[in-house]
Amino acid sequence: MSADVPAPRKTVLAGVSNETFLTFFMIGVLVVLFAVACLFVPNFYLLQNIINLFSNYWFVIILGIGVTFLLITGNFDMSVGGVVALTGVLSVWFCQGYNVSQNALANGLGLPYGAAVALALAGALCIGAVNAFFIARLRVPSIIVTLATMMVARGIAQVITRGAQRNTSLPDVFGVIGNTFIPGTSVKIAVLIMVLLVAAAYVVEKKTVVGRRTYLIGANATAARLSGIRVSGHLALLYMVSALLAGVTGILLASEYKAGLSSRAMGYEFDALVISLLGGVSIAGGFGSVLGMFVGAIILAVVTSSATGLLLPPDWQFTLKGIVTFIAILAQRFALDRRKG
Amino acid sequence: MRKMEQSLQARLERSKATRAAIKNFYIYVVLVLIVAVFSVVKLGQVDFFGRGHFLSPDSIVNLLRMAVPILTLSGAFTLLMISGYIDLSVGSAMSLSAVVFALMILNGFPFALALPLTLVLGIAFGVLNGLLVMKLRITPVIATLVTLNLFKGIALLIVPRGTSAIKSTALQKMPAWINDYARRDVLLGLPAAFYVAVAVIIILVVVQRRTILGKYAAAIGGNRTAAELSGINAVKYVWILYVIVGLFAALAGTARASYMSLGDPLSGDGMELDNIIAVLLGGTAFSGGEGSVAKTVVGAIIIMCVTTGLMTVIPAFWQVFAKGTVLIVAVALNHLLVREKTAA
Amino acid sequence: MSQTANVLEIKDLVKDFPSVRAVNHVSFDIKRNTIHCLVGENGAGKSTLIKVLTGAMLRSSGALLLNGEEYWPHSTRDAKEKGISTLFQELNVVDQLTVAENLTLGMEDTRFGFLRATDKISAMVSVMNSLEPSIHPKMLVSRLSVAQKQIVEIAKAVATESDIIIMDEPTAAISEGEIKRLFTIVKGLREKNVTVIYISHRLDEIFEIGDYVTVMRDGRHIGTKPVSEVGDRSELIRMMIGKTVFEQYTPKAQACKDPLLVVRNVSNHKLHDISFDVHEGEIVGFYGLVGAGKTELARAIYGVDEYRGEIRFKDRRLSPSPDKAIQAGIALVPEERRSQGLFTVLTIRGNVPVMNMKKISRSGFVNASQERKVTREYIDKLRISTSSTEKEAAKLSGGNQQKVVFAKCLFADADLLMLDEPTRGIDVGAKSEIYGIVRRLSEEGKSILIFSSELPEIMNICDTIHLLFDGRLKATLRNGCDIDNEHVLHIVTGGDAP
Repeated sequence: MSADVPAPRKTVLAGVSNETFLTFFMIGVLVVLFAVACLFVPNFYLLQNIINLFSNYWFVIILGIGVTFLLITGNFDMSVGGVVALTGVLSVWFCQGYNVSQNALANGLGLPYGAAVALALAGALCIGAVNAFFIARLRVPSIIVTLATMMVARGIAQVITRGAQRNTSLPDVFGVIGNTFIPGTSVKIAVLIMVLLVAAAYVVEKKTVVGRRTYLIGANATAARLSGIRVSGHLALLYMVSALLAGVTGILLASEYKAGLSSRAMGYEFDALVISLLGGVSIAGGFGSVLGMFVGAIILAVVTSSATGLLLPPDWQFTLKGIVTFIAILAQRFALDRRKG
Repeated sequence: MRKMEQSLQARLERSKATRAAIKNFYIYVVLVLIVAVFSVVKLGQVDFFGRGHFLSPDSIVNLLRMAVPILTLSGAFTLLMISGYIDLSVGSAMSLSAVVFALMILNGFPFALALPLTLVLGIAFGVLNGLLVMKLRITPVIATLVTLNLFKGIALLIVPRGTSAIKSTALQKMPAWINDYARRDVLLGLPAAFYVAVAVIIILVVVQRRTILGKYAAAIGGNRTAAELSGINAVKYVWILYVIVGLFAALAGTARASYMSLGDPLSGDGMELDNIIAVLLGGTAFSGGEGSVAKTVVGAIIIMCVTTGLMTVIPAFWQVFAKGTVLIVAVALNHLLVREKTAA
Repeated sequence: MSQTANVLEIKDLVKDFPSVRAVNHVSFDIKRNTIHCLVGENGAGKSTLIKVLTGAMLRSSGALLLNGEEYWPHSTRDAKEKGISTLFQELNVVDQLTVAENLTLGMEDTRFGFLRATDKISAMVSVMNSLEPSIHPKMLVSRLSVAQKQIVEIAKAVATESDIIIMDEPTAAISEGEIKRLFTIVKGLREKNVTVIYISHRLDEIFEIGDYVTVMRDGRHIGTKPVSEVGDRSELIRMMIGKTVFEQYTPKAQACKDPLLVVRNVSNHKLHDISFDVHEGEIVGFYGLVGAGKTELARAIYGVDEYRGEIRFKDRRLSPSPDKAIQAGIALVPEERRSQGLFTVLTIRGNVPVMNMKKISRSGFVNASQERKVTREYIDKLRISTSSTEKEAAKLSGGNQQKVVFAKCLFADADLLMLDEPTRGIDVGAKSEIYGIVRRLSEEGKSILIFSSELPEIMNICDTIHLLFDGRLKATLRNGCDIDNEHVLHIVTGGDAP
């Protein structure tokens, strides 16, 4: 993990970058939280539960990849939840049988699954392009733009499903990819895809020119420009990729449930942001890693599943997420300050 | 040579002036346009007696009644944005206030007690936001997203989803007068809550134009270095602005609870976006320094027109898409017409 | 309390930095209600002295007496409260407020939070009228020109009853007519019980408005005289440059080649009709003082700023963007290394390959060992003193940081290197190392453009020297022949070429 990032320091974890330090710090936090959870929550330590921690959250982690990259450059992407819903709905609608029923919601465009998926992803890319245009080109603050595109994307999904969902007249092939399991386990291949994507993202982050440029832009956008990096082009790329990842997630979820819900993925954009922040990604400057985001996701999983295990009502999650994020930000700041001297 | 410079200068001046004029008036143009569009569109719903027309007294009264929360809140929101800061938690703050208020009423608190107590809660919200943003120096977006979830979570804890929002149960009835504040006709068919909102707007317009808080908000948003060099304590004043936003979010929440005669933990969802649209249409710059409470109010009216207008014209499932498009249009308009301050 | 004759007395002031003594036992007095000019070349110590006076820096030793009392400011607010206002190049006005609001900012009278129009307020606002009636208090500052904004700042300083107003190169960004207006106002300040410390390198201005002039050189106080007792510009210039001996410059044989870079009639907001050629292997210097347009010219060539005119590199039009310039073979070492040249949170290894990632990567993947090897190479080649490639750039000394920026640009395999103030804030040892690097590069056939306000630097290594003043190329000299330093300074301070 010898990446091109900050200082060797003469402390306990000497010779390790700030970013690696934080990742280890959050892993430590995770271990502590896990131990505490095992004490208080019945059956928390069971293997199945541990596997669930990783596999129940795969969709937020995929979204987290795009969000992390953008956060490193100092930008938000709050549109991912909407894009997930949109692509799912589109994939269903494109694939539904053509003129097979009286019910308008059961009729689609009758395209083969592959084409439907491709077009749905194209739809996701359109949203990404809108983001890219306003944020990279016109330099409008990313929070506003992506909140707007989130609404537009989800809005389109709602229109297509008339506010509900589309789940009929689908060919069998539709449900395949979302419901296949890794042979010999009860884990869906979507989880495998997630792992592969995170691994790929990590490689991109640490070992490719694209990854380096992302950190450079986040560290000092002016110097990046003067060093010949095309900042707005790069940001546009990141927004398109983020949208594409959200699109893939939408396809997988739609396949899993064999339905396109306009209410899918509500709040996922905030979750993706939370896990990035928990993982030590800082909006201030060229700092953070998808690996940290992954750790952050597990932390969040521990917290939320503990809440479920303690039989707390599901709406506890809002308060929990808020508090956990807040504590994490402060704790990270504290740890880094102590490290500096 | 000098003459050419002068005439170029004059042309630049004139174009600056036209630009400023457009900036000042486009919002009224938009308002008129929207009203016209909806009037025409809804003509189909006008019955024989001319009722149901978009501009009929009934419909205007209805719109204004529904506009009470945003009218209450958008002025304070504008002041905060003028100083260059944002609060995304206003929606949840409003919901939580509505829930707490309804809870108090249900438990027999008189209106005169429940209202002030709720306002104190709103102040607490603002104090928290100010603490996170100004003292702990967490990015405003992230800090207020955190409080958004915090407030929302607390509201949902008090009124879990699935259970109906706090309203009358078989054993406890919400008193009938709860509606009075936000519904009962006091003057011209408009309820007390509306006039309270009007008073709030007037107060905030005055604050913006004639008080030190308004001036310092613009100074901090316009050039924080210059402001601090002149001895202005930015932390203190922005914190005050956050508190004021919290206060009026709570007031808006009580109006909403009163209108719906229940405390709905999700009643404020989307309020922050409505406010942002209103503020953008009103010509406030994102980076701060510029803005006008009065124009934001016009923006708020516009968004209410769009919301109510669309409500009867298009099916419910078009709403979100419509709102998103309006926001994008507002962003584009704002970008074209409002010159963001160049990086200080 | 009767006012002392001297508003400010500077006694034996010293300011040390880790590697240099910037202010060296400086002593002089500033008489009340005068316009006291401060001149000196870059690096003379003027700006450091001002920073100490305004509380931006703490002195190392010495005393300051303001109005007869001990004065030890710890912040710019301190200084302001004690009556010293400063007009910087970055204007400190709030554009979105009116003139009157800016004048009274921070000093308002209120009742229950409401702004009141008291006598005190009217008095403050009327200062504007007495200085410049054409600026109406209700005008929005954003609509004012730069010159007018300066006047607003002056009015604010007067309205807040400042004893001293420090003006740092105020005429750098305004037009001739505006300068005249500014001078009328500045001269009038004496009657308002305000003393002006006026820093400028435009020597004609000294003679126009100065009552006294202090010359500094190499951190020392050279002399303070009433302007009336100064003979002419040459006398000032002689005081400013002393007997600096420049290193021996060896003239190069100039081969007849086609020019590498051709600049014709380039103009923009700052530059006026600049034209010149650069040949292969040539080291071209651009000398001028603050506001001459050096950085603007570099940025125009690099494609960061817009311009009218034509720039051809290797016989092709240059596209106006940094990445295209780099691809064509031009690299820029920017003026501010920390904020523009370096990625301070990254390591040396993170900085060096940035401008030419293709060389250490294949199909988009970075070759880490190649990256390390290349970084090591440049650490050795440029003698960057560090034990590892993993040192955080922020922790390096100024000289080493600049070397990293150099390494960055060299790695871009540029044929034309532009250096903007390449040795600013760097110790002597690192300086001469950098000059050595520049000479080596030129021997290898690379062309170098040096934009600098340090004359010794330019004289040291440049083959051709262009003199800039106010955005114009005033004169071109060949190095190696007898160059009259006084003549040079004469031109860059606004004098006319004979």
